[in-house]
Amino acid sequence: MAYSDKVVDHFNNPRNVGSLPKQDPTVGTGLVGAPECGDVMKLQVRVNPDTGVIDEAKFKTFGCGSAIASSSLATEWLKGKTVDQALAIKNTDIVAELALPPVKIHCSVLAEDAIKAAIADYKQKQEAGQAS
Amino acid sequence: MQPDTSAIPIDPCKHCGTGAPVDVHFCPRCDRILTLGRHGDYFTFFGLRRRLRLDLNDLEQRFRALSRLFHPDYFHNSSSTERLASLERSSYLNDAFRTLRDPMARLEYLLKLEGFTPKESHDATTKVPQGLLEEVFELNEELEAIQDMRAEGASAAAIALRLSAARRPIEANLARHEEQLHARMSEHDARLEAGDPEGQREALAELRTLLLERTYLMNLLATVRREVSAGEAAAS
Repeated sequence: MAYSDKVVDHFNNPRNVGSLPKQDPTVGTGLVGAPECGDVMKLQVRVNPDTGVIDEAKFKTFGCGSAIASSSLATEWLKGKTVDQALAIKNTDIVAELALPPVKIHCSVLAEDAIKAAIADYKQKQEAGQAS
Repeated sequence: MQPDTSAIPIDPCKHCGTGAPVDVHFCPRCDRILTLGRHGDYFTFFGLRRRLRLDLNDLEQRFRALSRLFHPDYFHNSSSTERLASLERSSYLNDAFRTLRDPMARLEYLLKLEGFTPKESHDATTKVPQGLLEEVFELNEELEAIQDMRAEGASAAAIALRLSAARRPIEANLARHEEQLHARMSEHDARLEAGDPEGQREALAELRTLLLERTYLMNLLATVRREVSAGEAAAS
């Protein structure tokens, strides 16, 4: 089965690869994995606390081409979105954009999970910050 | 211990029409080998309860006895229905033996039988503990760094040293998992003996999680081994 051009493009030129400081209170980190295929995906967002807009998104994924493309696309989409808009991103949007075949749908699910985990981590940090 | 046959459905003999429980291989009335149509599962086929810890000697004895009974050579002059039945039973027996003699394959099979296979891999992903994910992620980063070292022409000895340091925590984790798996398997069997289906399912749910984590670790270790042999190939 051939990868779509968009998958190949994201795989060869992944956007926003890297890390943000995990301890930073404006940074949310999501780490998710799929034991069946051994994939592991880290996705991070930096949120402007005044506007609630995601300024920066980074990822690092160890896995197949589709997993890398899904997370790369996710970081592109996240930038400029508010936290709530980010939560509205669905794995089916990623599937449609990358034309993922059925066997690779779980890669997009992983990316959606990573977004949710990163936002949840950010929110948790914000609440903890306000409480103290 | 005899299996509980009360709940086992009845399958009729193609020759005389007598009903026979699915865990019976030969017709109770006409003694002919039964067609392998609707059948039970690998455990009932061997006349075993769904236990996770099996006595391998006992299993092998059952296997040998059944393979003698089903052997196609004995059905050389029988009807085509019986010849087919002997082939089907022999082949099913081989599959059943291969699966049940390996503790991990046995566990995976039982989980499937009891409906513990998630419909989508997604169901399972969320259950991986965060600590394990971090371990997996860090090791992947370390492997990437080792690949860079190799690309930059680092000495084989330096790479081998770093690789063996990287695999040690994974191997230790795997050994811990192995122990927990065996403990839970015993727990499952104890619940089965005690007639406690709820406790049994609890043990199975935990086993499913442990097995998933083990798959993760095994995949990682396979990657490390590939790196090691790549290093050895480059050194020779």
